[in-house]
Amino acid sequence: MKLSRFYKFLHIIILGFVFFTLKIFAVENIDERVKKLTLELRCMTCQNQSIYDSDAEFSNDIKKIVKQKLQEGQSELDIKIFLVERYGEYILFRPLMNYNNFFLWSFPFILLIIGLFFVLIKTKRNKA
Amino acid sequence: MSSLVGFLSLVFAIGINFYLFLSRYIFKFQKQKFNLFIRFSSLLTLLSFFSLMYAYVVSDFSNYNVFQNSHSNKPLIYKISGTWGNHEGSMLLWLSILSIFSFFFSFTKNIDESFQRLTLIIQSLLHILFGLFIVFTSNPFLVNSILVNEGLGLNPILQDPGLAIHPPMLYGGYVGYSIVFSIAIAGLFQNTDDEWLYVAKKWSLISWTFLTGGIALGSYWAYYELGWGGWWFWDPVENISLMPWIAGLALVHSLMMVRGEQAIKKWIVFLSILCFSLSVFGTFLVRSGILTSVHSFAADASRGIFILLIFFIVTGFGFLVFLLKEPKKSNALNLLFINKVSALVINNILMIIATLTILLGTIYPIIIEVLYNKRISVGGPYFNSTVIPIMIPGFLLMSIAPILSWQTNKINNSKKYVLAFIILSVLVILQSYFLDFNTWGFVGLLLGFWIILASVIAIFSSYKIKINIKFFKIINPHVAHIGVGIAIIGITCSSVFQNELDFNLNEGDKFNVNGITVLFEKIETTNEINFQSLRGKFLFDIEKNQSKEIEAGKNYYPVSKMITSEAGILHQWNKDIYFILGDQKNNEWFVKVLINPFVSFIWLGVIIMMYSGLIAVYRR
Repeated sequence: MKLSRFYKFLHIIILGFVFFTLKIFAVENIDERVKKLTLELRCMTCQNQSIYDSDAEFSNDIKKIVKQKLQEGQSELDIKIFLVERYGEYILFRPLMNYNNFFLWSFPFILLIIGLFFVLIKTKRNKA
Repeated sequence: MSSLVGFLSLVFAIGINFYLFLSRYIFKFQKQKFNLFIRFSSLLTLLSFFSLMYAYVVSDFSNYNVFQNSHSNKPLIYKISGTWGNHEGSMLLWLSILSIFSFFFSFTKNIDESFQRLTLIIQSLLHILFGLFIVFTSNPFLVNSILVNEGLGLNPILQDPGLAIHPPMLYGGYVGYSIVFSIAIAGLFQNTDDEWLYVAKKWSLISWTFLTGGIALGSYWAYYELGWGGWWFWDPVENISLMPWIAGLALVHSLMMVRGEQAIKKWIVFLSILCFSLSVFGTFLVRSGILTSVHSFAADASRGIFILLIFFIVTGFGFLVFLLKEPKKSNALNLLFINKVSALVINNILMIIATLTILLGTIYPIIIEVLYNKRISVGGPYFNSTVIPIMIPGFLLMSIAPILSWQTNKINNSKKYVLAFIILSVLVILQSYFLDFNTWGFVGLLLGFWIILASVIAIFSSYKIKINIKFFKIINPHVAHIGVGIAIIGITCSSVFQNELDFNLNEGDKFNVNGITVLFEKIETTNEINFQSLRGKFLFDIEKNQSKEIEAGKNYYPVSKMITSEAGILHQWNKDIYFILGDQKNNEWFVKVLINPFVSFIWLGVIIMMYSGLIAVYRR
């Protein structure tokens, strides 16, 4: 592959990424934010269904509350904390990233780092 | 009568297995006789299973199990599938499949005789454990103490053709790992040659293929029966089936290393024990009633304790033997950055991390509840943000792994791959720029297409194209990976680019789905044999002559007083249009339409993976 052609590709890629970032930071509308949040909440009256997916009365109430609170300008975390106080942590499908759940969240990545080191050490030794 | 036959043959089969187990130490007899006894006990177990099935088919309500779980006015297929639609029956199915595996294993040729016998003895031991479990805690042949003419009915959600074959298929996988387990343990004890690795490979491929099919059927069922529009919910029971699946996948890949004559035997044994332990552990979690889901039938603490006991015996025994009887030293691994061996090692590490993460996420709520008496949930978002990122390097690697060399770290035609990857990235960037951008969508599409593209390049540049069986065997790893790529595209599109439309409609209303006019024709209620149905009839694309009719609605099962939702799905090759009929409010029906792009790719990918699994069984 010639170098000049490679630079052309590089150009396109960089341009692509610029457009990308513009898109990522585009403002999400309120319904999308409601969807994103309610997908991570458990419908307490259903079986392992998210509030977003459920049409139960409970879920519809929570959807309304979430929408209202988002419109008031509350952050996602505020709303989650509010819901946890009311219904307990059981309502969150994504456990809070706090001290209590430190092990849960760090475990996979600790294993990953150990695995990475293992491979690096082993492959290096065999290089010579 | 059939119950009596069933019970006696079950007990007799367990007795034979006791005898076979003792034969190792006390009553020794020749191979021919030994195998005959194994087969005889398998047939007895099957007889026991079929007599239960017979009781279901003829609706023999003098059997307590049939009375509890069946009803005379059910279609025949659900009477048959009702046999394993309950705890007792499904455990008997488990045992029957265990004996089927022993049965076929007893016919294996070209392996060391004492090794084969030892494997079968371990199988006998497992047969005894699970047999006693059935007899003492989950006997399906109990006699009904009252005289009745009608049964209580099968959970309507299970009355579905997909679900009728899902349990036998899934158990084929779970229980299939029992034979892999037995082979590995026997291999440790005998420790003679590497022959057992080839045998283990064949059986682990068979089990894995069954497990894949079973999981896929289950999630396809969830897709059209639960009516939530998704097909994977990270439900604890789904996770439980996924763990042995991933561990089994790691096992199959490790066994590939045997071909390069650098067996990591110890690791293979570890994985074999792990796979079966996870299967038993999963059974324990589901059947003890610790987890609630459609799978946990009547919960009973004594069953949980018994299975936990079996789990500890199996796992404890397995890992104890593993630690005491170290396999003979194998050659040092030839790890380079990056050759086939190191790619396989990385892949194994990632898969095990994924398995352990799923395990942790699944039991974490239980641990927290026991320790702090607090209920928490670990759901989809947790797994999506831990398991998937961990798997991504593995997905990147698998696209080229099959063409890596065993000995050196050179890649043939590396320029082609670099060029292909760059072009692909540009295309995916353009796609996500002009359509919706979504990080996961971007990553998923890039990975999926890259795996397919790289595999196709590998096939065309590394081998001469011929149409014969040998060729299909050679390219089989690539084909399997193409299947994974296709499935990844399907998974990404259907979850990330799903589109939802909500309507409130009267009968006769027309509405617009993606620019296509749909008529909400009418609501219809009918009485079927065992349920009442409410259906909304939709005519899709009425402007064309060949409009398609879709029915979505609910069923009401009077026997069990349950309502199930029945989604109406219009399958197209590139998308599913998924209709859900909601409730009626203010004389208007709530109708939800989901557009799920490329769902069919998931099933296509799974079918390709299963095909490769089968092809690989025949590959030596």
